[in-house]
Amino acid sequence: MGVEGIGARVPRKEDKRFITGKGRYTDDMSVAGMCKAAFVRSPHAHAKIAGIDTAAAEKMPGVIAVLTGGQLKEDGIGDIICGWMIHSKDGSPMNMGANPALAVDTARHVGQAVAVVIAETQAQAREAADAVNVNWQELPAVASADAALAAGAPQIHENAPNNLIYDWEIGDAAAADAAIAGAAHVTKLEISNNRLVPNAMEPRAALADYNAAEDHYTLWTTSQNPHVARLVLSAFYQVAPEHKLRVIAPDVGGGFGSKIYIYPEEIVCLWASKKAGVPVKWTADRTEAFLTDAHGRDHITTAEMAFDANNKMIGLKVDTIANFGAYMSLFSSAVPTYLYATLLSGQYVIPAIHCNVRAVYTNTTPVDAYRGAGRPEACYVMERLVETAARELGVSPAELRRANFVGEFPYQTPVIMAYDAGDFDASLNAAMAGADYAGFAGRKAEAEARGKLRGIGMACYIEACGIAPSQAVGSLGAGVGLWESAEVRVNPVGTIEVLTGSHSHGQGHETTFAQLVAERLGVGLDSVQIVHGDTDKVQFGMGTYGSRSGAVGMSAISKAIDKVEAKAKKIAAHLMEAAEGDIEIADGEVRVAGTDKKLGWHEVCLAAYTAHNLPEGMEPGLKEGAFYDPANFTFPAGCYICEVEVDPGTGHTDIVQFVAADDFGRIINPMIVEGQVHGGVVQGIGQALLEGCQYDPETGQLVTATYNDYPMPRADDVPSFDVSTTETLCPNNPLGIKGCGEAGAIGSPPAVINAITDAIGNNDLTMPATAEKVWRALSASAVAQAAE
Amino acid sequence: MDLSGEYRIPAPRERVWAMLNDRDVLRVCIPGCEELEQTADNAFSARVTTKVGPVKATFNGAVTLENINPPEGYTIAGEGKGGVAGFASGGADVHLAEDGAETILTYTASAKVGGKLAQLGSRLLDSTARKLADQFFAKFAAMAGGEPEAGAPAEEGAIAGALHKVEDTVSEAAHQLSDSAHKAEEALERQAARGVLGGPLVWGLLALAAIILFYIIAT
Repeated sequence: MGVEGIGARVPRKEDKRFITGKGRYTDDMSVAGMCKAAFVRSPHAHAKIAGIDTAAAEKMPGVIAVLTGGQLKEDGIGDIICGWMIHSKDGSPMNMGANPALAVDTARHVGQAVAVVIAETQAQAREAADAVNVNWQELPAVASADAALAAGAPQIHENAPNNLIYDWEIGDAAAADAAIAGAAHVTKLEISNNRLVPNAMEPRAALADYNAAEDHYTLWTTSQNPHVARLVLSAFYQVAPEHKLRVIAPDVGGGFGSKIYIYPEEIVCLWASKKAGVPVKWTADRTEAFLTDAHGRDHITTAEMAFDANNKMIGLKVDTIANFGAYMSLFSSAVPTYLYATLLSGQYVIPAIHCNVRAVYTNTTPVDAYRGAGRPEACYVMERLVETAARELGVSPAELRRANFVGEFPYQTPVIMAYDAGDFDASLNAAMAGADYAGFAGRKAEAEARGKLRGIGMACYIEACGIAPSQAVGSLGAGVGLWESAEVRVNPVGTIEVLTGSHSHGQGHETTFAQLVAERLGVGLDSVQIVHGDTDKVQFGMGTYGSRSGAVGMSAISKAIDKVEAKAKKIAAHLMEAAEGDIEIADGEVRVAGTDKKLGWHEVCLAAYTAHNLPEGMEPGLKEGAFYDPANFTFPAGCYICEVEVDPGTGHTDIVQFVAADDFGRIINPMIVEGQVHGGVVQGIGQALLEGCQYDPETGQLVTATYNDYPMPRADDVPSFDVSTTETLCPNNPLGIKGCGEAGAIGSPPAVINAITDAIGNNDLTMPATAEKVWRALSASAVAQAAE
Repeated sequence: MDLSGEYRIPAPRERVWAMLNDRDVLRVCIPGCEELEQTADNAFSARVTTKVGPVKATFNGAVTLENINPPEGYTIAGEGKGGVAGFASGGADVHLAEDGAETILTYTASAKVGGKLAQLGSRLLDSTARKLADQFFAKFAAMAGGEPEAGAPAEEGAIAGALHKVEDTVSEAAHQLSDSAHKAEEALERQAARGVLGGPLVWGLLALAAIILFYIIAT
């Protein structure tokens, strides 16, 4: 490892512009003649649109156009799609309800866009949007997934009877039932996984500019995957053909999944920029973000885990209802199926597993992938079950886990995934040492003397990321392949531009990707520029989500570097009259091994471009591209231990210690990895303690649409984290990387809830564990004890 | 949202009932009421301007009366629209009981709200509605009480006098409000410019409260 190469703790190159306010986000973009869009949104959770009167709005000052869903439909703009086909267990395809970018006859959630006003200024657009008179005919609404399945519930889409999108299963039901029937002990839990609002710091935005002279569109947008956006906008929504549409995702202030999808606003801005003949910009306000960014989680689950007389896991049965909201978002169908149920083996050997998932429409904001996407829900089910089982069996939670760990790799689970490498004992041991697990009893006694209830909880997570092998996801229903592309352009002076299909929106790619180049080609980080986020610069890419940019994106760069290296060596060997196999590239030099013959890296690069003296038949230049398609998912795993103190008087929980021991495979930049773990753990703690998106069950109104009612975690809600890593290399990509972007949000919620339930002696606690809920659970356990 | 309350009005039930059917009394007692018109035998429309924080808006409401049973009570149903601020609809049962020379008024109201009113103000609805209800009944009781010591049935003139007094107070308050309203509007513009509030917004809570009041009262 060099000082700037793989494994170096290099400060982030991008931070200078972010910290000094020089980032360039979509809302910072401006083009001549630009107008603003304001959307007219449904105030009702479910209502027929009997008519839209735009006459008053059209006459207001500054208004260029008022456009409705009817016009959108007339112009042939396609409905929004879900790109992953899931079949129910009876073989029928999922029931996808029509999802127009502007509602035509029915609005199905509060905040759904029904019309748009284009005006010269933001204020004019908003004033006029308020003057658009929609004749609403209110319909009964339903907000929760179980209520939506109940007999007599309001029907949301005609083609989804009983609001059921699919009824899907995985695993062997008979085997799981038999294991439970023959078990020495069965632990059963009812589990809810609370709905979350993503809350990226930068709200979504779009600026669309149609150039009539060239019949060409440019879209600046807050996207995690601009190429996928262009493909979908063009192939499915027919906004413009791909070669006539440039999508640019400049600096993006956080995504967490919510900026994967192609939303109505982007489609409408593109369409409206041609229709109204002006460039159109829209930037969400925070209320629009709460109402329209795809939400996360929202599962209701019943789970049973069976043990034999030796405390070995012999079976698992899980039944989950997933709330999809009013429409199927782009990857929504994959989240509670292939990103959730396939992880229900956890870190354990469980011979029989069965999971049934029903996906359900409700009159709420659509739900899709959010940091972890299905894996936090799976981990929460597994780790709440195991911890509860340990309490019921009267054994150490750590030792119960250890006794059931997968110890040999590769390991084929009964639910598709084949774990390729790992060492679960190592991360468990590291976390227990870091947390001084053995000393907990002493700390508990000391806390008790201070009047505090101290509890400890752990979670051993495994996740599948680096998504994913194209052939595998294709066979499971994905509409796209999940490879990644890279192009390494070496300039005549030896500096390097790397064009990547990954997209950085907080991950630090400009630093870590450059570290890979520095490591391989021996140049300084300052000589490397990472280019991303523009479909005119990068040919294609699948974008960044599912912790895939290290394992997949960097592997593509690595493959392109292989080709650059090979050509540079051929040129150098030719120039120095040496054998190609003897050429080494290091420290900015190209040497003949075992001799003092050498050339500067820049000299070889210049030679490639002067082309005065190249090997016979070689093309000039030094630029190579690669597409990389992984052979398998990657499987980061680890152990988190949380220690809390609960104030019995108020129910307030203080997290007093949090230890994370992760196995991410090879680490490129430990500082950036630690930052990812910190951020993920804080998001997980937010889910466990604070964040709970609530709809009024009768009216479907979102009643947690401000930071007053939807608290985000703050610095003083969390302790200083103890973060460490163990390392087993991923055998399925050239760099041995597993990915670190989501682990924190996956492993932390069960660790926190396990700790609180341990502290209060009552396992009946749902997330978010607010002070009120904890206090009530404490009171309930006190009453129960008194009764005994 | 469900809301219930009980008030002691220092006047006989017949008189309270009469006042509850006096448009002028109601117009003065409803906080922020600018207009109260009878649209049919048992139907009214009202316009109420009110503020929440820095935001001011006008709320249009319509109320109908059912189960009218003088002087014991009625059921009211209504809805109000505040444009971009959202909407409210609901109903209330109002009951008047005699207690010597005084009257006990009880009501149970339920309302549902939507749009920004629900998104931004749901946690404030209960307390705001209750506060406005209290303001309404404070005025109403003062007017009903007429001459405090006498306790005798008030003449028409007494009511008119009380009305004047209340209107004076209201106009004084309104004067003070217009100053702060000006400042508040500036603050709103600043916030709107920053994108914090998303345009002319919220305020509608008060409007809802007014509507609830309106349920409680209107006749």
